[in-house]
Amino acid sequence: MSGPLSPPASGTTEPTRQPNAAASIRGRRQWPLPKQADPDAPLLVVEGLTTHFTMESGTVKAVDDVSFRLDDGEALGIVGESGCGKTTTALSLLRLLPSNARIVRGSVRLFGIDLVPKSDSALRRYRWREISIIFQGAMNALNPVRRVGEQIAEPIELRLGVERGAALRRAGELLELVGIPRARGRAYPHELSGGMRQRAMIAMALACDPAIVIGDEPTTALDVMVQAQILDLLERLRARLGLSLILITHDLSVIADTCDRVMVMYAGKVAEEGPVHRVYRAPRHPYMQMLLRAFPDVRADRRDLGTIPGQPPDLRNPPAGCRFHPRCPAALEACRSEVPPEVRFADGVRVACHLYPPGSDGVPRALPVAGDPEPAR
Amino acid sequence: MGGRYLARRVLQAILTITFIILLNFLLFRMMPGSPERVLARNLPEAARAQLLVRWGLDKPLIPDQLVAYVSATLQGDLGESYKFRGRSVVDVLGERIWPTLILFGLGEVFAIILGLGLGAYSGWRRGGAVDYVGNGVSLILYSMPYFVIGMALLIVFSTSLGWFPTSGMYTIGASYSGLEQQLADFLAHLALPLTTVAIGLIGQYSILMRSSIIDTLTEDYVTTARAKGLTEGRILRSHALPNALLPAVTLVAINLGYVIAGAITVEVVFNWPGIGTLTVIALSARDYPVLQGIFLLLSVSVVLANLVADILYGALDPRVRT
Amino acid sequence: MSGAAATPANLRGERLRLRLRNLADFGRRFARRRDGLIGLVILAVFAVLAIVPTLIVGPLETATTPSGLSLQAPGGAHLLGTDELGRDMLNLTVHGARISMVIGLLATAVTILLGAVIGIVSGYLGGTTDTILMRITDFFLVLPTFVLALILAPIILDLIGSDAQILGIPSTLFVIIVVIGITSWASTARIIRSQALSVKERMFVARARVIGGGGGHIMWRHILPNVLNLIVANTVLTFAGAILTETTLSFIGLGDPLLPSWGQILNMAQSTGAPGLGAWWYFAPPATCIVLVVLSFTLVGGALDDVLNPRMRSRR
Repeated sequence: MSGPLSPPASGTTEPTRQPNAAASIRGRRQWPLPKQADPDAPLLVVEGLTTHFTMESGTVKAVDDVSFRLDDGEALGIVGESGCGKTTTALSLLRLLPSNARIVRGSVRLFGIDLVPKSDSALRRYRWREISIIFQGAMNALNPVRRVGEQIAEPIELRLGVERGAALRRAGELLELVGIPRARGRAYPHELSGGMRQRAMIAMALACDPAIVIGDEPTTALDVMVQAQILDLLERLRARLGLSLILITHDLSVIADTCDRVMVMYAGKVAEEGPVHRVYRAPRHPYMQMLLRAFPDVRADRRDLGTIPGQPPDLRNPPAGCRFHPRCPAALEACRSEVPPEVRFADGVRVACHLYPPGSDGVPRALPVAGDPEPAR
Repeated sequence: MGGRYLARRVLQAILTITFIILLNFLLFRMMPGSPERVLARNLPEAARAQLLVRWGLDKPLIPDQLVAYVSATLQGDLGESYKFRGRSVVDVLGERIWPTLILFGLGEVFAIILGLGLGAYSGWRRGGAVDYVGNGVSLILYSMPYFVIGMALLIVFSTSLGWFPTSGMYTIGASYSGLEQQLADFLAHLALPLTTVAIGLIGQYSILMRSSIIDTLTEDYVTTARAKGLTEGRILRSHALPNALLPAVTLVAINLGYVIAGAITVEVVFNWPGIGTLTVIALSARDYPVLQGIFLLLSVSVVLANLVADILYGALDPRVRT
Repeated sequence: MSGAAATPANLRGERLRLRLRNLADFGRRFARRRDGLIGLVILAVFAVLAIVPTLIVGPLETATTPSGLSLQAPGGAHLLGTDELGRDMLNLTVHGARISMVIGLLATAVTILLGAVIGIVSGYLGGTTDTILMRITDFFLVLPTFVLALILAPIILDLIGSDAQILGIPSTLFVIIVVIGITSWASTARIIRSQALSVKERMFVARARVIGGGGGHIMWRHILPNVLNLIVANTVLTFAGAILTETTLSFIGLGDPLLPSWGQILNMAQSTGAPGLGAWWYFAPPATCIVLVVLSFTLVGGALDDVLNPRMRSRR
């Protein structure tokens, strides 16, 4: 089995962790850290996050025991099929969930501050100023009856206490930063093209100089050329402003282009997580292997695209044990009853799969393909 | 605001008014027998001859009569009333307009403020007691003709409880010691009919605004506003309401024709001396000139009000201005 | 199915089975709507009153001839009191059901016929015909139709003569029916037209044209069945509007005193000054009936619309 995707963007064979990268990025911030922040704590640590939706037909366990970490200046990609819980995870960070959803368990520590137990009004302080979001399809994410520049200036004025004129000027600067002439700030959203709207959303997300920007499928609704421009823009902004990025998508190639690390989610749980080049070249979790196999490669010779048989499970009643076992060709007896524990390996990859029990060497196992001899266990 | 949008709307309004005048002309001529029978029913010979000349009835229908009619109308000459012998239609209408305007205008204002406000609140705080009760009450009110509401209010608050007078605009034969007393009497008489008009409208407006706000709340830009950390109040005022108001403006405009029907009947119930009671009087007396004057007046008012609503909509929603 | 021969008889049978199955499915889905069911029950009660009033209170004459003292309060022989002429209120109200409902029904028929025909023709033909028809429709939509009805009614009445009878209906009521039809068809036409437009775009219409079906044939066999759902839902809501309009027109004085609809009863109540005299029994029964009937039509119409024409609701 080989990694069908082109190698990740140049220069990221192994992310070189400078000893004071975090400190230098934090030092460059325009606004001070939150009062309760611990200056030495990692940027974002999510542990055991569990979010449930209450519906008439039952409780949907949309996010189950999800943990990950984001360091200053890093870009983490969250990938998975529709409905796997990646958007819910992101929305849970800022508690932007609909009224029938609740965070049942877990912690979200930003600069060491746990956001989960905070009241709504206390949490508001962190929205946009520390974490901001770029939504999918900026078509509707911008208010259609107000000018774009005003919407960008709104959080600057109201959240940072900047006087209105200065806020509008700053909004103009942000527009220029994302490649839109500042005069276009007077336009209404419907007067801009799809790509420009998305750029405007990026400008808006940067308005309060946040520590983390979450992109929820930021390029899905755009055509390929524009998609490339947007990703390029995000990458440049990241380098220039020292941003940390969480990129949510179902498109593996987008992550290959922009992210340092990738987290694969399936049915609300984390399947595999690690540096992009490790996970893409040598995926361990059977789901990730099948995902990669299903992805066409422009340069490789023609091959059958694999499909993953079956359907994602109904999260009101997820399968017992490993949630992927009904569709997994390598399923063991244990997979049907026990939730696989997360195991961390030396190359920085984390997997939750019974094929890699704790204490194993973590070498990726090949999936059985029709006609192959039985793989060694 | 886009000049083209404005120009288009004004042009349409002018066109519609033209058709209304034409329709009025046709109705005039639809009447049985020769027009002179209708126009000059009880007049002496000389006056009748004069009338025939003035209306061009001795000339062919089109274009002469049409031109005569249209030019007369545009100059404000709508003919003379049958019932109110010798008085011009414009005169008769003129003295009845402002009571109707007060009743109808104030009623709309109250209904818009209360109805839209109630609807917005119950849509924002979905599922509260206010929501369910309000929705049920609105549905019932929606099914009641205005005059039924009026009669019910009259029986309860006027006849039984005696809080308000039963009819008219002022107490008959009263003399007032000052403006204050006159105003108080006027307001006492205005209270019930005004409440009737307002109640009828509030039900509709609140139902519409409620569903409009609920729809708006599911939009992505509201989630964005929340993500920006704005207060609930700011989100409602600055993001949800401006968008939710758009269908409300449309509804108020569409509704005007229906409200006029209601206002006419409410005036009848309370014997309020406005256009409504005039209509009933003119109907039973078959006073066609007055009836046509009323038709012209009300139709043109609705068209103009629609124009205002269109302009308002254009001011609120930049998407239609392109 | 593949085994049986595709004879015309078999195909008809198959189509019938399919239709029955659709009907049962529709019935199931409608039964889930509580508001629609409540409305239906109320309407059923009034339908009974309208169809066989004589079984319940006796023939029309008993309603229109005085049988008690003037303006008696409810009690004793007169469960709902009497009017100023001594006529029994209960009697009047029950008979009013038939009159109001029949006028409403006929007016709705005229409205829907006019609206559907214009809508389908306009939507199907398109082009100049469509533009002209829609201009006319828009004109009627802007016009305050009630005012138009007010002025048309006496004119037509004078033309026909107030003592005439058309198709067995006294001219006053005939005029009301016609006038409601003339003034209400516009919104139905608009709704049907947009549906006809989208049906026209679909493939099978193009195929029918290729086979050589003429315009009328296509409109009747292909477009009409597909807008039927919309027409049904719209009919029920139009019925509610028709009853409201008839009530108001009668209240203004355009009704027939010999065939008192609920609106006409209220007109008589108003002219005798019943509210001012505290004679609530003169006003309450017809008013309550009007509200109940309009309310139930609105509920049923809304439920029908939801079941027959489901719309995607966006949810987060």
